[in-house]
Amino acid sequence: MSSLEIQSNSRRIRPKQLRSIIFLSFLSFAAAVWMIPLIWMFSLSLSSNEALKSDTTSILPVDLTFENLLGVLEGGQTGQWLFNSVVVTGLTTLGTLLFAAMAGFAFARIPFAGKKVVYPLVLAGLMVPREAMFVPLFLMFAEAELHNTYEALILPRVALPLGVFIMTQFMAAIPSEIEEAARVDGASRWGVFWRIMLPMSAPALTALGIFTYILTWNDFLWPLVSATQREMFTITTGLASLQGNFAQATELGSLMARGVFASLPLIVLFLIFQKHLVRGISLGSGNK
Amino acid sequence: MASLYNVSKGRKGGGLASREARSSNLAGWGFLAPFLAIYAALLVYPIFQAISMGFYDLDLLVISDRTWIGFDNYVRMFWGTEMAWTLENMADWRIAGLFLLIPIGLAIKSKKLGFVEGLVLAVLVVSIFGVAMGFAPSADGRWFDSQFWLSFGNTVLFVLLSTPLIVGFGLLLALALNRPGKWTGVLRTLFFAPFVLSVSVLTLIWAFMLNPQLGLVGTLFESLGLEPISWLTSPIWAMPAVVIATLWWTVGFNIVLFLAGLQDIDKSLYEAAEIDGAGRWGRFRFITIPGLSRTTLLVTVLQVIASFQIFGQVYIMTRGGPNGATRVSIQHIYESGFRDLELGYASAMSVFLFLVMVFFSVVQFRMVRSRD
Repeated sequence: MSSLEIQSNSRRIRPKQLRSIIFLSFLSFAAAVWMIPLIWMFSLSLSSNEALKSDTTSILPVDLTFENLLGVLEGGQTGQWLFNSVVVTGLTTLGTLLFAAMAGFAFARIPFAGKKVVYPLVLAGLMVPREAMFVPLFLMFAEAELHNTYEALILPRVALPLGVFIMTQFMAAIPSEIEEAARVDGASRWGVFWRIMLPMSAPALTALGIFTYILTWNDFLWPLVSATQREMFTITTGLASLQGNFAQATELGSLMARGVFASLPLIVLFLIFQKHLVRGISLGSGNK
Repeated sequence: MASLYNVSKGRKGGGLASREARSSNLAGWGFLAPFLAIYAALLVYPIFQAISMGFYDLDLLVISDRTWIGFDNYVRMFWGTEMAWTLENMADWRIAGLFLLIPIGLAIKSKKLGFVEGLVLAVLVVSIFGVAMGFAPSADGRWFDSQFWLSFGNTVLFVLLSTPLIVGFGLLLALALNRPGKWTGVLRTLFFAPFVLSVSVLTLIWAFMLNPQLGLVGTLFESLGLEPISWLTSPIWAMPAVVIATLWWTVGFNIVLFLAGLQDIDKSLYEAAEIDGAGRWGRFRFITIPGLSRTTLLVTVLQVIASFQIFGQVYIMTRGGPNGATRVSIQHIYESGFRDLELGYASAMSVFLFLVMVFFSVVQFRMVRSRD
């Protein structure tokens, strides 16, 4: 070992370093290949539809133009769909976080009769697959005449047993001295929850929030079933409705521009909150 | 976690204590109420609703008019005319399935699985592969709903193709990316990025990527001197195409879980092994692989659950075609309910798919709780 350490100051590249460089170059190449489909979508959206009629296989934009991207905002319903997605996803995420935090606070911090029975019943909800029960759910909302409303898109998603599980675990680990001090100072339970527990749970809330946001934005089956009027589509179902029709291939640039608009908000969020999302995935799958 | 179950302290005490217990009860249920109401109404109740609807003939257009038909929906799903049991029916798949008895036996022997649980599993395997799959319509009979078995078979095929591939790639990439450094961090981000795209963006990209005239894959094939495949319209290549697109989309999720699993392995084990003279391979074989066993099981179970629910990719890219080659269970449920308007039949099929998935969900659930 010691001889290696002495050598490490010399300029010569050692075999170990060389191997590491080769390995990283290979991995970087693989990552670049992995990115090609995404880059391709962006460059098609920046190419003129005219130029795309003759060549669609360039990784760089042909005949660079911003017409397609600007066109998304002007005509068609893509703007409305984006708006729907922002409203539905935003409210679903807020609702999920609030209700999960409140339930987590009750389970972790309040001794109440019946807790031993309810908590396992809530955890059992972890076993219900997300997409399995869309038929009876459809019937319930049909009977309430609530289809094609924001309520129908939001309500079935805001009770997340996983969120309760995560928040309960997180809040149970917060030292009880802080809570007791606040209660001595005369804070109500809601005051303790809102001003102390909620801010202290910020890491768990951020992780859960970003995870919920992405899942909800990308929700496909339920919005497809529930929101059947075009003006109530989310961007995910709306974009799907534009595909499968190869006449659209003549407007490939505009189509890809819509794809860019559907993914940009999430890519930006992902780049900002990457660490939290990674944490959310670990928490969310029961890995940690 | 035991502290969660502390029952109210004040029960035995005098007036003040019992008043506090009452206030605790009120507060506890109050904080729980919003979640619990929606949970009960929109997550739990629909399960019972689905079971009940499965016994009715229920038309989407006249919801109020329903007829009790007992198990007819289930007979229609599972059965056909002129049914016969033969040893040869689907022999390859059944023999392969019966081999599951070996790992179950080993798991019982090594006490990873309780005896009763193992026995239940073994009985389940024998009754599915040994008995149930022997039934089929004889020469002049037919299934009542051949689409049901076709789509379920395709779903299972997708699960079997995608799970080893996506889990394996996830593991390999996680092992490669498990080193410190800024640049590796950037690479991790790149591999993960497609996961945040929605399914319709995924299909938008890949339907064109795989298009033999317009897409990059065709161009690549041509430059290698190969004939471009028209993936999505080929009965053989359509399912692999869906698997490839899904791999690109979701492998990042598994990378994240495997990386977390790698972080959890005790570093001192590696140091100790190095001192004992273990080589690179030895450390990998005797520390990394056993250390990842829990994560691998968890990732596999999650992947199976996710794969059984496949719908968006095929529905948008191929509509289940060509000729039903990529038609999957959720699509069959969706179209039975919302195109053919038979909500009762669709519910019965949901119940079946639910039961298939619950088995894997129970495994995941027990793993989550074991960390609790």
